Amino acid sequence: MKKYFKPYNIIRVLVCLIVLFLIVFPFLWLILSTFKMQKDIIKWPPTLWPKRWTIQNYIKVWDRIPLASYIKNTVIFAGAVSVCSALVDSLAGYAFARLQFKGREVIFNIVLLTMLIPFQIVMIPLYLELHNFGMLNTYLGLIIPRAASAYGMFFMRSFYMGLPKSLEEAARIDGMSEFGIFTKIMFPLCKPAFVTFFIFCLTSNWNDLIYPLMMTNSTKMRTLSAGLAMFVGEGVRETGPALAGALISIAPLLILYCFAQELFVEGIAVSGMKE
Amino acid sequence: MKKGLAKWTGKDRVGYLFIFPGMLILFVFTIIPLVVSFIISLTNLDIFLAWPNMVGLENFKRTMADERVLNAFKNTFYYVVLSVPIQLVAALVLAYWLYKPTVFNKLCRSVFYVPVLCSFTAIGILFNLMLNSTVGYIPFLISKVSGEPVALLAEEKYAMAVIIFISIWKAFGKTLIILVAGINDIPGTYFDASEVDGATKLQQFFHITVPNLLPTINFTLLTTLIGAFQVFDAVYVTTGGGPRYTTETMVQYIYLRGFSAPYELGYASAMCIELFFVIAVIVLFFKGYMERRIQNNM
Repeated sequence: MKKYFKPYNIIRVLVCLIVLFLIVFPFLWLILSTFKMQKDIIKWPPTLWPKRWTIQNYIKVWDRIPLASYIKNTVIFAGAVSVCSALVDSLAGYAFARLQFKGREVIFNIVLLTMLIPFQIVMIPLYLELHNFGMLNTYLGLIIPRAASAYGMFFMRSFYMGLPKSLEEAARIDGMSEFGIFTKIMFPLCKPAFVTFFIFCLTSNWNDLIYPLMMTNSTKMRTLSAGLAMFVGEGVRETGPALAGALISIAPLLILYCFAQELFVEGIAVSGMKE
Repeated sequence: MKKGLAKWTGKDRVGYLFIFPGMLILFVFTIIPLVVSFIISLTNLDIFLAWPNMVGLENFKRTMADERVLNAFKNTFYYVVLSVPIQLVAALVLAYWLYKPTVFNKLCRSVFYVPVLCSFTAIGILFNLMLNSTVGYIPFLISKVSGEPVALLAEEKYAMAVIIFISIWKAFGKTLIILVAGINDIPGTYFDASEVDGATKLQQFFHITVPNLLPTINFTLLTTLIGAFQVFDAVYVTTGGGPRYTTETMVQYIYLRGFSAPYELGYASAMCIELFFVIAVIVLFFKGYMERRIQNNM
């Protein structure tokens, strides 16, 4: 019992509590503010607690923008991209980590170099390309360019490199095919990394702004983040609905996180192969 | 031709098959656009996509004389130099404190990850209002202490610092989670053995945690560094580059030049390419350095 009161532990817990507060407070403020009347939001001095509770802000934002179809689009786009990317990247990451082939280092360095490219640089040519393929404003056009990611390959490679060599060598001696080694032995071991990357990928695509904004110009193909940005960009004078929209755009991922979080935390914790 | 065929049928084949789908997508949707971008940078293409003229290196020459390019590079470096070390050190220390699966630690880790799940659109709406000088809660708190409400994002002195804070606030949870996974990969026996030898927490941190964590730190350092050089969303949703260009970073300026009047895509592409080379040199330097460090530790 005594060891919990050591100065080290007190500092540790104190710092964590401060960081906890810094994270929670803005969200608390956001949630409370969405239930405020407009005149209470823009009042000085501001108050934390709403004077009168109202759900007007939610009704307004729901009326103004087609949130349901935004959510549908975002789920299809981010979901499909994440599944494809996690599969493709784990194949490539495994090859870069464990298979011998000519030019491996060179190709991997090129992959790494593509990570250095700001998206803005390829934005225009990519738009022209999709335009020529006739894939603008389609789900395929949104999904395919994102179906592999250099970041994912780098990530998967790091995890595969951490696995003990003895595993595959035994299988190779037993005459198992390389593809069999991957699907039966290596891939199942890296499921935690797979899940982790899937969630990273889902989050970043869910929240991506410029890419879906550029590749779709019809309102019915917009994603949540892009649609909300357009809504705010239209010069909405009322801040209440904007706040409600922000909260709604966060909510689906947050709910998913609440349920899948155990899997997420646990997954990432056991991903190490302790010998 | 024959040599190429031999490559495909030889023992290397499996490796090529494994990387093929990923490479195809990267090639068509990243590398080809990159090359096209190089070509565009040599033209005076604008957004109306009329047939452009080749202007050679004219765009690059113009960027050298453009004071806003220099300013944007300076701001980007300022952002990188502050945000990357702070984020990494904060995440590393917190990861070391929170890696054990106690209830409190798990709670902290889960909550710290929540901002990662939010879009910058939402974060922008949230912070703009919270920091607004006439209705925001933060200026109100400041006014209680100092008597004057300060609009942090509108002050030249503070705007960049606030953007750095918001970026770290949003992203450190992800770094933390990766580092926690890395620490949990370190065999527990290392810690047990050092405890028997009477090592302090600080000694354990510097002599066991950090050296064994180097591959993971390497991963997070490189990805954070690359992301930091390309900072855009955090600026775009808060200040848009103001006040008086003090927060205008490279990508923000590129976006402004290429995607608002006068829509100079050629000029914007030239800046992209300069930025790309700057990032490449710095990142490859760090990659080399870190890999030597890892080698030495093995």
